[in-house]
Amino acid sequence: MQKLNRRLGFLSSLPILAVFLVAFFAPLMVVALFSVMPPKVFNLTNTPDFSAYSVFFEQGYYRSLLWSLGMALGSTAILLIVCWPLAYGMAKVFRGFTLVLTVAVVMSLFVSENIRLFGWVLTLMKGGLIEGHIRAWTGIGFDSPLYGIPIIVFGLVYVYLPFMLFPLAQGISMVPDDARQAAADLGATRWQILTQIDIPLAAPGIIVGCLLSFVLAAGAVAEAKILGGQAVITIADDIETAFTFGQDWPLGSALSVILIFIIGSLSLLGVSRVDLDRIMGRKR
Amino acid sequence: MPASRSTRIVLLVYGLVVIGLLYLPLVSVGFASVSQARYLSFPIKRYSYKWYAEVLESGTVRDLLFTSLSVALIVMILSVVIAFFGALAFARYEWRYRSIFQKLILLPIFFPQTVLGLALLMWFNALGIIPSWKTAVVAHLVWIAPISTLIVAIRAYSFDPALEEAARDLGANTPTILREITLPLLLPGLVSSGLFALLLSWGNFPLSLFTTGADSTLPEWLYAKMVSGYSPLVPTLGIMSVVTSIVLILTAFAVAWLARSIRDSHAA
Amino acid sequence: MNSDALLRLENVVKKFGRFTALHGVDLEIHEGEFFTIVGPSGSGKSTMIRLLVGMDEVSDGAIWLRDKRIDETPAHERPTCMVFQSLALFPHMSVGQNIEFPLKLRRITPGKRKARALELLDLLRLPRDYYFKRISQCSGGEQQRVALARALAFEPEILFFDEPLSALDYRLRKTLEKELKDLHHRTGKTFVYITHSLEEAMVMSDRIAIMKDGRFEQIAVADEIYSQPVSRFVAEFMGEVNLFEVTSTGGLLSGSGLEVDPDVARTDLPEGEKGLLMVRPEYVRFGDGTDGFEYTISGRLLEEYALGSRIQYEVETAGGRIVTVEKLREDRATSESGSDVTLGFDAANTHLIVEN
Repeated sequence: MQKLNRRLGFLSSLPILAVFLVAFFAPLMVVALFSVMPPKVFNLTNTPDFSAYSVFFEQGYYRSLLWSLGMALGSTAILLIVCWPLAYGMAKVFRGFTLVLTVAVVMSLFVSENIRLFGWVLTLMKGGLIEGHIRAWTGIGFDSPLYGIPIIVFGLVYVYLPFMLFPLAQGISMVPDDARQAAADLGATRWQILTQIDIPLAAPGIIVGCLLSFVLAAGAVAEAKILGGQAVITIADDIETAFTFGQDWPLGSALSVILIFIIGSLSLLGVSRVDLDRIMGRKR
Repeated sequence: MPASRSTRIVLLVYGLVVIGLLYLPLVSVGFASVSQARYLSFPIKRYSYKWYAEVLESGTVRDLLFTSLSVALIVMILSVVIAFFGALAFARYEWRYRSIFQKLILLPIFFPQTVLGLALLMWFNALGIIPSWKTAVVAHLVWIAPISTLIVAIRAYSFDPALEEAARDLGANTPTILREITLPLLLPGLVSSGLFALLLSWGNFPLSLFTTGADSTLPEWLYAKMVSGYSPLVPTLGIMSVVTSIVLILTAFAVAWLARSIRDSHAA
Repeated sequence: MNSDALLRLENVVKKFGRFTALHGVDLEIHEGEFFTIVGPSGSGKSTMIRLLVGMDEVSDGAIWLRDKRIDETPAHERPTCMVFQSLALFPHMSVGQNIEFPLKLRRITPGKRKARALELLDLLRLPRDYYFKRISQCSGGEQQRVALARALAFEPEILFFDEPLSALDYRLRKTLEKELKDLHHRTGKTFVYITHSLEEAMVMSDRIAIMKDGRFEQIAVADEIYSQPVSRFVAEFMGEVNLFEVTSTGGLLSGSGLEVDPDVARTDLPEGEKGLLMVRPEYVRFGDGTDGFEYTISGRLLEEYALGSRIQYEVETAGGRIVTVEKLREDRATSESGSDVTLGFDAANTHLIVEN
């Protein structure tokens, strides 16, 4: 049975690995190769140089990267605070409402993110759903909060909420009620229960949630473009521009490699600390 | 430690506010889609369905829907097949590289989709493949198949491996076990993973943007119109896309409910 | 191949990486026997049954079924069948479909399949209309019977049981133990049962094997294991026991503060050899030193515990050794805690364990 299991495990991993090989690892190789090509070439037959990487520092692309990472960090921190009570409710307090909340949040994921962000534009713009109605009723209008950095962070929080909420709820549901009860019996305050019991025991969920939201937010484009009106350029936006308007594939590739490197090492670091079997509910 | 009544109520209200905020933008889009004015401004003065009529008559829109739906359906079918086996490798079988495999599966989910789309574009270019909606299927698959795998894996974790061992003990070989035991038991997971795959592909924009070539999916077209200035067709089509998703979800729930009630009436 | 055993293990070894779960085990099980393997968790009994059914491969040695070597045969090709600890009933099939599963795999026609399934429901004393029930609609005991029916439908040469009763409550377990023994009589099949509960083993089995650390400590009929254990482990595993370290001196066993009547309690143990003198608590009596017991020991009564129909006493003797005495409730002793008592027992009720 062990031998059979080993063989079946290997065989059944093959379809998805084949997809990965053809459409994930191979393209990444191409990106890596293009990143060491001289500027503005469209094939890989040139002599490698590292000029594209020096452009990253010389032409201020690192600023986009720092903006992206900074906003990702900010939105992740806000998400953690915003989602914690809700995740706690889903895992420990609500009964039927957990299902309602889950379905509602998951369904929102199926709507293209640019339609939802566009909806925020219609809601928040001058003459939009909120300002328009308030002005019509009270006669007092106000400036739109659109096109700034706070609204981009808001957009990131909005779009990536499910990616923080669900892992967090899963993590908190792994905290045994007995442990909280026992801590309370032993005289722990609410704050002590949170810091001594909940957070350490829910750590896998917290790690996965923070990792997912940070990494996805760091690679985001649409929030800054649609809500931010390009108040800041994100690194993913720079990459896109390099490939499209800039027609400089090596530059785009080099920027991609830098972003992939940061995201990849963070992901690997975080994921290697988590027992996936446990967080996904293996019984044995 | 049961939460107090007031905690429960506060959290419940908070949850409702979050749901409200989640859907508030769609409310705006919904209103915009029935505003008669070409240039939107709230409060809406005159309502009309004329944009819907225009959308339905438009040949472009029909093409967009057809492309989006073809991609989504093919992605769904392939994802479910891949996820069935992938989930067994992820959750069920003990094999040597299982924990590496598990982490590998997560990589594309963590990956920025824009970059993935561009990388695929270069790869197709290097291979001499001209991008079309078919290449978009491949792109969607890289991101969606792992998600489907995780969904099926959750189901695979919840069933007792002794069931497969028992079937083998009673004389079933591997194909029979897969057909008679594993497949029926994973079926609910496969259905929901299929639904996820269909809807995620239907709504995907960043991957489609760079990999559809001359073809265009609905989210792509909407994005193009959004950035090039307001068009009253954007909210209209947006709402139609959302409604399609809802119809698909409801259909899936109805089918699942029907299947269960038929099964129960047989068993009773 | 000169044995008439149905199942025979020859020097079976099982290793998991560096850990050895079974150290070269030999065993013979005979046709029609109810054979139970008992051991604490980690003793290797679960590994043993997985090898016997074919869910794991042996690392070394051989398993024979009659004159066919089967240790290389995969589970689905072995003519044996197991009732799982979790029962492993297929939740997506009805009771009938579960029972018919092995028959369906053999391409037996639906009509015959159903007839056989109904027969088996009768045999297991389940109502025939359970045929259409869902597994989730059956109680724990009913599920147990369905699992048995499914295993019997396979018509196995040997039926294995992997602690199938461990999850049930006490009363139901007692009922099913008796039913299982009865079923064994009625079917005449060979049953091989794994459990950690000695009580369960004693009620049902013809023979019992005691396992420890991947080896068999003793294989014998239940009575023999109880009254003549081969080691301290078996003696203690089989319930309350008093063990006295003794040495053979001048043809007598002495030590641990025991006083021996030299006229009757002679021993064959060679001079100077050490052993453990075992006496079960029910054979130890309170006396006044004039009752003529072959062995006597004095001490102080510590505590009295009521065990339902029996009463148990703890007596502290010289050197802090605790001796346990058991009496029927009707013979309850009158001594008070803290009082000095004399205990006695006869050599006929003792057993000498010589461990090497």
